[in-house]
Order: sequence, then structure tokens, then C-alpha cells
Amino acid sequence: MPPAADPLRVFDRRALRLHRDRAARDPGRADFLFQETAERLVDRLADVARGFPLALDLGCRHGVLAARLAGRGGIETLIQVDAAWGFARRLPPPAAVAEAEALPFKPGAFDLVLSNLDLHWTNDLPGALLQLRQVLKPDGLLLASLFGGETLAELRRALMEAELAEEGGASPRVSPFADLRDLGQLLQRAGFALPVADSDTIEVTYPDALALMHDLRAMGESNAVAERRRGFTRRATLGRAVALYRERFGRPDGRIAVRFEIMTLTAWAPHPAQPQPLRPGSAQGRLADALGATEHPAGDKAG
Amino acid sequence: MTDHAPDVDPRLLEILVCPMTKAPLRYDRAAQELISLEAGLAYPIRDGIPIMLVDEARALDEAEKAALKAAPPPP
Repeated sequence: MPPAADPLRVFDRRALRLHRDRAARDPGRADFLFQETAERLVDRLADVARGFPLALDLGCRHGVLAARLAGRGGIETLIQVDAAWGFARRLPPPAAVAEAEALPFKPGAFDLVLSNLDLHWTNDLPGALLQLRQVLKPDGLLLASLFGGETLAELRRALMEAELAEEGGASPRVSPFADLRDLGQLLQRAGFALPVADSDTIEVTYPDALALMHDLRAMGESNAVAERRRGFTRRATLGRAVALYRERFGRPDGRIAVRFEIMTLTAWAPHPAQPQPLRPGSAQGRLADALGATEHPAGDKAG
Repeated sequence: MTDHAPDVDPRLLEILVCPMTKAPLRYDRAAQELISLEAGLAYPIRDGIPIMLVDEARALDEAEKAALKAAPPPP
């Protein structure tokens, strides 16, 4: 049952699953970024002083996060899930093939949902966040990282300019990513409490843009935009993109700089015991007293 | 093949629902499928791993649906 054509369907999830299946054949080849962000997620989890009896790892690939956790983080049972059979088939039970956009779990099933660099492939991020909130128990934690808007900005520009110059038109070649300022709001709208979204940049270097694109394929992160152009990119276009990238973002040592923006989301399923904002007008004392200041009437008060 | 197929992990089975309707599933151990009567879909299980993707599910035919409706779900 392939989904109908839909302008809101930015990503071709079938293509994405194929890319991930391909990446799963040699998953350790280019997983340095996933390893790094997994370590950061585990660090953050270690800062939360409570246990998580049942946790979900959404988009687990070859179990990167589970290996990094290695018993840390207060998790008793970790259910690992990936959209690609290529990854899921090698996971120890309990594991399943599933996607964020159609989560197959009961409401209130989990104490913790972890997701390491996966949610940026979601077509309907607000819908996915809503479902993630629903599968969490009250006071359950969502801790997720995903690529932000600055990711691969240099590659995006080089490819677009090269394609315009060589072919007189351009097509999307690098995924659109969500912006940090949107994410806090999306979390709130999905019904999460105490949402925090922050961003870090990881800069790495490559010999050239071809080596970078090669690695992106090995990571299963190559272009799966539904409107992408099918077939091979012309050699002249690729050559020009490689030259443009080096010209603009080349380093003195001859390598090129590549930036990945990593956004991290921390949010809780609401629970009455969490800190709550007070009702407006419910204060028991005057702010001026608390501050040790003299209160002056604003002057423009009605009455 | 089904004789040797590993069972779905019970901790997983306990919390799985249909990804489309969020309705409970029936575990058909012989066929190695998780069945969502409401959605009319059967999700395959491979090597003990449920494939919970709507576009990988098998559509149930009318006879199957009728038989499932007649049979009470296992306790």
C-alpha cells in the first residue's frame, strides 16, 4: 500500500529504508557521527537521577546507542526499533521494524524514548512528536537528537550552484531540516512539559566533497527527498560542485570543512508532580517585597 | 520453518498495537503474523522480529476477516 502523492510528503520513506538497508551491510564503516551523538545522549541521560524500567530506542541502526549505554542510564529493558530490516534483523530481542510516523505501541508504554539522529527523516514531525508523547508514561522522558538546518549547508550550496551552472536548473539534493526555534514550539504543541531544544555543531574534515558524499551513502543518509532527481548526477555537475566546495570552504591543509548541526530535544510527558506555572493573580506576596524594592504605580492604570 | 521460528519477545508483544489504528493485535503464531482486524492487515514476523510497517503488511481477504470476527480473540 504505497502512500498517495502528497505535497507534505517531503521524504520518500521507501527510498530511505533502502538506503538504510544498504548502510546496514557495513554499518561500522561510517558511523563516527552516530557514535559521537550517541555518547552525548548517554551523557545527558546520566544526568537524570531516576530509573527507566522500559525504554525505546527509535531509529537504533546497528544498536549504537545500546552499546554506548552498556548498562548506564538506569534502563532495565531497552526495545530497539529501526525502519530498516537490514538493521533490525541483527538486533537482539526485543526488537521490531517500525517508524516514528506510525508508532506501533500502546499509549503510556514507555518510561523513556531515546532517538539518535533519526527524526530528521520524518515527514510529519509534529505528528511523530505527538505519537511519541502518547507512548510515554506520565513523567516519561523523550531524549532525541536530530540534524538541524545548518547541517551540510556547504554541500547544499555547492551542489545547487553547480547544477544551476551546468544544467540550468536545480533540484533538492540535501534534505531540508527543521529549525531549532520551531522545535521547542512543536514539543509544546505535542503536549510535552518542560521542553528544551538546543543545538551543537560538529565540524569534521574530508579530503573532498566526493569523499563526503560517499560517506553519507555509507551512513544511509543520502538524498531521500521525494522530489529528488532520479538517476545519476552528471559528471560535469559533480566536478563543478567538488571544485566550488573546495574554493569556498577549503582549508589551508587542502581538506574541506563539513558541519553537522546536532539538535537535542529533552521533554517530559506531563505529570501533576512536575513544576507547574502558577495561575496568574495567585501570588501570596508582592513582587516588590520579594525584590526589596519600592513599588511605584505605573500611572497608566485604568481606574 | 514456522516450527523453528523464534517467538516474539513477550515484553514487546505486550505493548504492540496496529501502527495505523492503534488497535490491539492478534498473534497468529502458526502464520507468524500480527493481525489487525480493524485495519484489515497482517503484519509479518521474520525471525521473531515484527515488521510493523503499513506498506509491508498483507491485506486480509473477506473470508479471513469473517473467520476472525467469528472466532473470539485468544485470552
